[in-house]
Amino acid sequence: MKTYADWRAGGETNQKLKTNQDNMKLNQLILASLAGLQFVIPATAADDSATNSTGAVPPEIPAYTAVDGTNAGSAEAAQIEALKKAIQELDQKVQALEQQRALDQQTATNIVSDQTRDLDQKVRILERQHELDQESAATAAKAQPLVKLDSSGFTFASADTNFAVSLHGLVQLDSRTFFNDHNLVNNGFLLRRARPIITGTVYHDFDFNFTPDFGGSTVQIMDAYVNYRYRPELQLEAGKFKSPVGLEQLQSDASLFFNERSLVTDLVPNRDLGVELHGDLFGGVASYAAGIFDGVSDYNGTTVNTDSDNDKAFAGRVMLQPLKTSDVNALKGLGFGVGGSYEADRNGAAGLTPGYTTDGQQKFFTYATGVIANGRHWRVSPQGYYYYGPFGILGEYVISDQQVSRTTAPVGTADLQNTAWEVSAGWVLTGEEATYNGVTPRRPFDPRKGQWGAWQVVGRYEELNLDNNAFSASLPFAVSTASASSAHAWSVGLNWYLNKNIRLNTSFSHTVFSGYTGATPAVPAQAENVLFTRIQLAF
Amino acid sequence: MKNFLTILVALVFPLALVANAKDIKLLNVSYDPTRELYQDYNAAFAKYWKAKTGDDVVVAQSHGGSGKQAQSVINGLEADVVTLALAYDIDAISQQAQLLPANWQKRLPDNSTPYTSTIVFLVRKGNPKHIKDWDDVVKPGIVVVTPNPKTSGGARWNYLAAWAYALDKYGHDDAKARDFVTRLYKNVPVLDSGARGATTTFVERGIGDVLLAWENEAYLAIKQFGADKFDIVTPSLSILAEPPVAVVDKVAKKHGTTEVAQAYLQYLYSDEGQDIAGRNFYRPRDEKAAAKYASQFSPVKLVTVDEVFGGWQKAQKTHFADGGVFDQIFQP
Repeated sequence: MKTYADWRAGGETNQKLKTNQDNMKLNQLILASLAGLQFVIPATAADDSATNSTGAVPPEIPAYTAVDGTNAGSAEAAQIEALKKAIQELDQKVQALEQQRALDQQTATNIVSDQTRDLDQKVRILERQHELDQESAATAAKAQPLVKLDSSGFTFASADTNFAVSLHGLVQLDSRTFFNDHNLVNNGFLLRRARPIITGTVYHDFDFNFTPDFGGSTVQIMDAYVNYRYRPELQLEAGKFKSPVGLEQLQSDASLFFNERSLVTDLVPNRDLGVELHGDLFGGVASYAAGIFDGVSDYNGTTVNTDSDNDKAFAGRVMLQPLKTSDVNALKGLGFGVGGSYEADRNGAAGLTPGYTTDGQQKFFTYATGVIANGRHWRVSPQGYYYYGPFGILGEYVISDQQVSRTTAPVGTADLQNTAWEVSAGWVLTGEEATYNGVTPRRPFDPRKGQWGAWQVVGRYEELNLDNNAFSASLPFAVSTASASSAHAWSVGLNWYLNKNIRLNTSFSHTVFSGYTGATPAVPAQAENVLFTRIQLAF
Repeated sequence: MKNFLTILVALVFPLALVANAKDIKLLNVSYDPTRELYQDYNAAFAKYWKAKTGDDVVVAQSHGGSGKQAQSVINGLEADVVTLALAYDIDAISQQAQLLPANWQKRLPDNSTPYTSTIVFLVRKGNPKHIKDWDDVVKPGIVVVTPNPKTSGGARWNYLAAWAYALDKYGHDDAKARDFVTRLYKNVPVLDSGARGATTTFVERGIGDVLLAWENEAYLAIKQFGADKFDIVTPSLSILAEPPVAVVDKVAKKHGTTEVAQAYLQYLYSDEGQDIAGRNFYRPRDEKAAAKYASQFSPVKLVTVDEVFGGWQKAQKTHFADGGVFDQIFQP
């Protein structure tokens, strides 16, 4: 019996085959089967190959037996059939293996696909969760109240800023030293202002301000008002606040050139109770304010919370900064306007000023005993300012016209017209911009860094002139032995802005009087020379 | 004194003139899936109001989870009208902020609900997970997308619909219903705050096997993203969702918009309003409009909150209040 290997190798065996055609067919079948088997089960094929190389018998291949001439036909046929059968069996096995392999592959693919899909879903879920977490965090952040603490004060606000409360403060510790005053006035320190300032907003459009003052010797409420902002152009304010007349009076206490306002402020109303319509037009190019108030007398350092008579005063003011929004930088800071007040029937002793005061806050004029307000009182005050770079100048003129009566002999009535004006100017030596709202140092005081804040020199000239009829010989409303008929003053000073909140001032004011005929010692008897200093905290 | 009054009037009068300006603006604070409905409706109402009065009216819309929206109104969002997902949220505005009377739901027909909807399933095209009813939704391995019932009105409807199905299936056994809904929420991997967010999760982010959705939201998703991507499966039982509407009296009075706000809601009941609701896959109350759009909805047995849960107040307290059933069964 020859082996398959022998058959492959031996040409003599082939010669015994019945026909070359049969031989070729068989050869092709076997080769194809083996090739397929080897491809399908390479491990097995490899083993077979190894066995063959060592001369071992190949498995399961029927041996081909040489045939002689007599019985070769039937034997060959049987062998061929056997081989065919074996090949068919092999083919079936191959097919079964291939099917199994495909099934395994499909199963593996499905498993991988499911795992991939699951992983994909997990990733997507994590991404979405992260996205939602971020949205939640953003929403939560928006809902968090805002807390701010900076040079402008402490502010607490709701997340939507519809509600806010801010705490500000103003503390001024002054000293006044008078020269050549014959010891009439005490030199010393004083707490000029000590104001906690509470401002805020409710329901987005309603602002409020409550400012008590613990400075001086009287505790008083300076501001207590609510302001409704319908839009910047249209706002309605009600409560106690500054009457809209005097330019210098309306300037913030913390931003003044000098410790004290000028003589002009003696003739304009201070805080009053009332209702005011106001707003800024055209981006601040124009502003207006008009309101009705209880009406207050000239210079009333101590504000009141009630009305002194049954009449009401109308006060208003218009200011223009025509080039504020233009490209002409040199004229952007130019502003001018006019303020005024009118009260038809002001009356009573309380309707008159308690007296006009100097820069050093000494009274140099008071009405005589028995003189009362009795009729119309009006004021008008043209005013203006100009700020450009470090330079700033501010000027104001005011007429206060008031009908007064003398209730003691000689009884009579007169219409007295008192006037005042002032011009003050400043230059910031360190180059910062001067504004109506003060100076902000570019380099806040910090000697370790070689920073010294901002320095400003200031000067002022001012006058106040009483109506000559006030001192009429036949019908005097003031007496020259107690009051002067005019005051003229100049001042110079130096302001040191350590930072936005701390400021040190020093200034000197010289005031001379005229018309006083009384004997010394009295304030107007000689010029007032006073040296001011101040330490100010404002935030 | 006379002068004083004259000046006072002169001061205040200009303010009054500005307050009565011609522009009429309304703010409609609504829930998540009504964006498209009210975009259509606002345009129609503006046209109607212009023809009727000559005035122009612009209606601004605000959308979000119904519960969150109600809280915003309580916190000061000045809505002239609210069109929320469920009555409880408007009740909350009435009770907590007193911005409208307690009987607000009696002021318009059909309990102030001009259209209804229900809860259905949105599944991937071909429904590969073979989701046919609520039982399939609670099977292990099914990923369910539904928003947070704490903030979303639609989510509360989803929750109650599942609970109602379980009660129906298990002979009103609350314990089994609770177990059923617990299994459902075990399949929920992420909770959006509103229905529109959940739709985004399912449709755009490709998360989940089934979205429990407002019926109108499901049809809208099909319309917007293509019928080749999703199928709608209507369960055998669902809940009749009644999203109500109301004028927020105090705000409207403050804005001077009471008349137009009332007309705005009343017009929802008009033929045009009902038609717009139907076009946007809500179920109109009006029989004629309902019949016109009936063919776009599959039949479903609907139960109401009142009959199954004893009303929204009770349902809210039992299931969705802090420490309620939902808090107990859902573990994020």
